Amino acid sequence: MTGGDAASGVLSAFLAEMNRIPWFSSCGTPLSAAETKTAASYVVALGLGELPVAGIADWRDAQALAQRPDWSRAWWDAEIGAEKNLHRQGALHFGEDDVLAALSEVTEAASSIHDSAVAALARAHLHDQGLAKAAAGAASQACHQAALAHLAGAGETHPFALKFRLFSGGRWPLGIVQQRCFVF
Amino acid sequence: MSAAHATVKSVAELKASEPEYQTAVRKIVRSHAVNELYGAQVYDEPAIALAPNPYLKWLTCRIAMEEYGHHVRFRQLGEQIGIPEEEMTPKGRRPLSIFEFPLQTWEEFCVVKLLADLAEIIQVEDLADCTFLPLRNLAKVTMPEEIFHSQFGKDTCTELVKTPAGRKKVQQAIDRYYPMMPAFFGKKDSENNALYRRCGIKQRTNEEMRRDFIGRVKALVEGHLKLKLPEIAEAA
Repeated sequence: MTGGDAASGVLSAFLAEMNRIPWFSSCGTPLSAAETKTAASYVVALGLGELPVAGIADWRDAQALAQRPDWSRAWWDAEIGAEKNLHRQGALHFGEDDVLAALSEVTEAASSIHDSAVAALARAHLHDQGLAKAAAGAASQACHQAALAHLAGAGETHPFALKFRLFSGGRWPLGIVQQRCFVF
Repeated sequence: MSAAHATVKSVAELKASEPEYQTAVRKIVRSHAVNELYGAQVYDEPAIALAPNPYLKWLTCRIAMEEYGHHVRFRQLGEQIGIPEEEMTPKGRRPLSIFEFPLQTWEEFCVVKLLADLAEIIQVEDLADCTFLPLRNLAKVTMPEEIFHSQFGKDTCTELVKTPAGRKKVQQAIDRYYPMMPAFFGKKDSENNALYRRCGIKQRTNEEMRRDFIGRVKALVEGHLKLKLPEIAEAA
């Protein structure tokens, strides 16, 4: 088995899971206690402390929230920092080229998430190409991050594993604004 | 000129076609495979960090994926027609000059989408009538995403020019990138372009496409955004 096959092998179950996810199917419904707990754990795991979790009622509110100027740069930077750490660990184990090849498979698999975003918007009687692409971009980023966590051997309590769990349940975590974590 | 060449319906038919035609198809597929990947790597991926809010970061992430997806589609066609893989990545091919000027600001990214994706649309429009059907179909599949990317450039620039500071930055970005754009269409009297037109792969000369581009950009930048286009040399 080459390094490339080994990296891809680690992600084979994950790639299969990606195809089964009902992307965005729960957006707009009230958050369950378990989802709220997962979101809170995600924030703590990022090193941002304990913050309240809030739901978002509809797609337009989600779109507006994601464009607010007072969003948390610390949240985004914490994610980017975690990505870099995982990438470094994965590259040490499998080699840089093989990690990139495995991640390319994830990117290609994630391209179909856009169809789910368009369908979810249609169920809400909305047709907005930009919003569908932004939602698909967010979910694709989460897939990339979760794949990195798998390659680095991070466990289920890693922030990217927790974030991916929210997406897996049909949610769209929107990040942190004004010291509150929002989940659509 | 293009009507002189018969339609080639499949990769199998291409392999039975005259060597000049095969060469022309390989050249153009290789060029698109390389440039789509360059675009994603040099502009779209770095722009995610520059985007001013999560919504635009995620939207840019998706745009980067779509550009990468175009590379994958051209690369897959390239593999089917026998182009070595290393010739379809930036490692194996010299890039267009615009790719040697990496992004510095978000406004530059919006201007690159406005200008470079319009240039890409003009190129792909020509391919939409080409005699090699798999390439024609590929052009038709990628076109809606290219149109969205160009519209994204127009919409974001339209928002940015509403403030004096944004207006100034967009103008600076146009001043930086627009002079590089005419070269995107290739040289006047290019041998490659003559080959493409002989084979019915392209319909227009480089000069015709360049003139079309300049006219459309003028309408966008001077007519719509009310900004100025810098002077450029007429011929590339």
